Amino acid sequence: MLDNYSSNATTAKIRAKYAQLFTPEEYREMAALRTVPEAAEFIARSARFKEAFTEVDPNTIHRGYLEELLYRENFETYIRLCKFQGLDKEPFFGFLIRRSEIECILSIINRINSSLDRTYLSDLPGYLIKYLSIPVMELSNSQTYEELVAGLKGTRYGKVLGRIPVREDGNADYTECELRLRTDYYAELLEQADKEFGGAVSDELKTMILREIDCRNIINAYRMKAYFGYEPEEIKRRSLKFYGIGKKNMERLYEAADAEVMMDMVNHTIYGKNSPDTDNIEVEINSVKIRRLRHYLTGSTYAPVSLYAFIQLCDIDVSNLVTIIEGIRYGVEAAAIEAQLITL
Amino acid sequence: MAIEKMALVNIIGRFEDLDETLMRCCDSGCFHIEPAFKNEANSTVRLLNEKNPFGVPLKEFASLASEMDIKLTEAPGTRFKGWTAEQFCELSDNIDGEIEEKSKEKQRLAKEVSELEGAVLQVDHLRGMNNDFSKIFACKHTACRVGRMPADNLAKLQYYDQTFFFVPFETTKDFCWGMYFCAEGDKELIDSIFRSMFFERIRIPDYVTGNTDEALKKLESQIKEKKAQIEALDKEISQLAKKHDQTVLEAYTALKKRYDIFELRRKVGAVKEKFYIKGFVPKKNADKFSEGFKDMDEVEVVLLPADADANITPPTVLKNGWFTRPFGMLVEMYGLPKYNGFNPTAFVAITYTILFGIMFGDLGQGFLLFLLGFLISKKINKPAGGMVTRCGLSSMVFGTLYGSVFGFEELLDPVFENFGVDFLPLKIFKQSTFILLTAVGIGIFLILVSMLINIGIGFKEKNYEKAIFGCNGIAGLVFYASVCVGVVCTMMLKIEVMSLPFKIFLIVIPLICIFCRVPFSIAVKYKKWRLSEDEEDMTIGGFIVENFFEMFEFLLSYVSNTMSFLRVGGFVLSHAGMMMVVMTLMDMTASAGKPVTLIIGNLFVMAMEGMIVAIQIIRLEFYEIFSRFYESDGKAFEPMSVSFDTEVNV
Repeated sequence: MLDNYSSNATTAKIRAKYAQLFTPEEYREMAALRTVPEAAEFIARSARFKEAFTEVDPNTIHRGYLEELLYRENFETYIRLCKFQGLDKEPFFGFLIRRSEIECILSIINRINSSLDRTYLSDLPGYLIKYLSIPVMELSNSQTYEELVAGLKGTRYGKVLGRIPVREDGNADYTECELRLRTDYYAELLEQADKEFGGAVSDELKTMILREIDCRNIINAYRMKAYFGYEPEEIKRRSLKFYGIGKKNMERLYEAADAEVMMDMVNHTIYGKNSPDTDNIEVEINSVKIRRLRHYLTGSTYAPVSLYAFIQLCDIDVSNLVTIIEGIRYGVEAAAIEAQLITL
Repeated sequence: MAIEKMALVNIIGRFEDLDETLMRCCDSGCFHIEPAFKNEANSTVRLLNEKNPFGVPLKEFASLASEMDIKLTEAPGTRFKGWTAEQFCELSDNIDGEIEEKSKEKQRLAKEVSELEGAVLQVDHLRGMNNDFSKIFACKHTACRVGRMPADNLAKLQYYDQTFFFVPFETTKDFCWGMYFCAEGDKELIDSIFRSMFFERIRIPDYVTGNTDEALKKLESQIKEKKAQIEALDKEISQLAKKHDQTVLEAYTALKKRYDIFELRRKVGAVKEKFYIKGFVPKKNADKFSEGFKDMDEVEVVLLPADADANITPPTVLKNGWFTRPFGMLVEMYGLPKYNGFNPTAFVAITYTILFGIMFGDLGQGFLLFLLGFLISKKINKPAGGMVTRCGLSSMVFGTLYGSVFGFEELLDPVFENFGVDFLPLKIFKQSTFILLTAVGIGIFLILVSMLINIGIGFKEKNYEKAIFGCNGIAGLVFYASVCVGVVCTMMLKIEVMSLPFKIFLIVIPLICIFCRVPFSIAVKYKKWRLSEDEEDMTIGGFIVENFFEMFEFLLSYVSNTMSFLRVGGFVLSHAGMMMVVMTLMDMTASAGKPVTLIIGNLFVMAMEGMIVAIQIIRLEFYEIFSRFYESDGKAFEPMSVSFDTEVNV
């Protein structure tokens, strides 16, 4: 019974935080600004980021650091919510840390494959360092794929990456690495959702995670079809093997004649119904996703479900803010910026 | 007390006249627009859905006003009549061009001030370092940089192979102030490394020499000088603003109107080169509306009966008399009746006023409410004030019957004695049973009236299930009235009326009619026997189960709705009880305090009882009464208008 009370307290806190996310009207107002310092000042005045910007001067802040501050605030909100009722003791609640670790590892692999001079250290977000379980700074100096895998020895990621064949040039296929790491991530997440929580909590969580995977698969499949002309078999091979709408239905989408037909089919699924009329696949799919996530956030009384949904909504919010900042930086018209935003 | 008759209006004309037509429709103040067509794929007719060209210049002018600190207010004028969007854009570019240079300069200076203030902060953190800055920066083989970096990135420093060292001075939650040194030859690479870690270099100007204190003095004088320059620029910008403010305001006002008019196009249809507008006007205004377009040769206005188009429902405007008009607010709160429906405002007005009077009855307090109503009407809200005056009057009447004046129950006794009226005033606590039974009686009466209204509406709509066989139809009325008569006669008057024929014809048969209301109404309407309206056949078992539970609900609602009116009597008692408490407190107070206790006590009871009684009667109206006959599926009448607004939601 006490677990229920603590769950209710966390969900109440999450809902209070949710009210601080930017509204479409605020995005519109921000997109009409002319300079990055104005945008920084606008963000600094908001309830969500006021504290994060206390020591920041909007007039002189670097655009890259501004964006990093937004991501940092997302991450620290997640940490605070997990610590609030001691949720961080459950392995499931480490999901964002694990996701961040995967992103760091993939960035290092990309850097190795691109043979860039600079190490990953320059791009590593500083706020992550103390939370990651992998020695990311040592790994940043890896010059080859083998060095990276050796550095990850004893970790889950090391086992996954160790199984990927190395090419003649000593590098590993980036997309293969991404696919395997994400497969392992989602497999672990679904297993934890099943084992650590019972009944309705587990069901709601697994449904949400599977739908997230579906969205990822649909967006990737669309891109592969539209921009690279991949065949259905190749698309199936490169997609995550978890299905929210069922394997047959997803494969039917992969087998569509072309990208337009595929989108038409998607519009008849839960991922496309009442979606906005736009050319941008991410905007279209994620706009429908927001509605679902809001439903979980406002309807569920379980902390894991609310937290997972909320973190995704935070990611979308920050992604919109970054889109606006970059749009302002490159002098894009307000209407064009707004067309790229993911809103209801 | 009915619903305003409407006329359907079709306006057809050429595209060139569209904006002028829309403007005249807005100016008439009585035109409710509807979508001209249903937007269907592959249709030759469509609704206009063009991008509003006035959106961009409107935003630009709003932005200009914000930059020049001009408060947006409505400034009508004729200067910009007939201007296109391109002309507005050109004007805004011209004005913007004049201030852009000064704005840029101001921004540059603001940035410099920011940097200098940052330098002040930095140098402040270096207090205690008594070395001369110029000596540190004058080193030939060593490069030195002073600044701050995010504290999160400190951990990264040890993982760089390059040769440099960083000296931290002060670390806060987010930042670490310090300086780094490296070889002169490596400075570009080291600078790029620190830039990647968002190191904000504070450039200490060359003229800053000496130790920390001297440096601070120099920096502060520079800041003062630049702030003075910013102030001068602000003055110049505000002079420019004065020069252009009337232009900006007039342009904004004109643009807002043009933008809003253009937005109204979304409900206008287009077929080839002509536009189609469809809407409603009150019939009494139809001719005047039509005349407003007489001078437009290419525009044709066609007036039709309101029900001429089966696809559109006419909007509803309640037509109420002087006494009932304020209570329209309550009906609108619940929901408007449909166009050819029943306007319940008069019924609400009468019942609300009487029930309020009964529950609040006090001559003195009623009089104060009556006066308060006038005040509210003048200052705050006319309908609310109207309701309060009427309720105040009713309270005065019933207060007289109860003999209560500001809680003094004996004050009116001599008056009634003089008139020889024995049974008045009504002593609340001595006749509490009578009051409670009367309250129930009032409830039964109101429920019966509601059912009669429902029957009338049902016959008018030719809905026989509703009028005859429903739980609020003739069957329900007969059943309910019979049960009430039977109970009253048997239990109170000791008359045996519930004979077998009474029970069979007035109770059982109506119940059977209610149970079988759907098949009976289908039989009357379509002359065939079916258990349900749906295409699919309903089984007997399903029919019995469904209707059994519905019957249970109906019977429960008869009982609960009737008992609900006990609250009327309850509040009579509670009002009297609260005033008794006030009187008791008054007796306990010293002589000097008695008037104060009386006044405060009365005000408190007025406020509390007044609000509770008002809300309780609304509940009785909406739940017990409206649920018997009222369907609020009407559409509000919203005449087209464009109004000035400083919010730009483009």
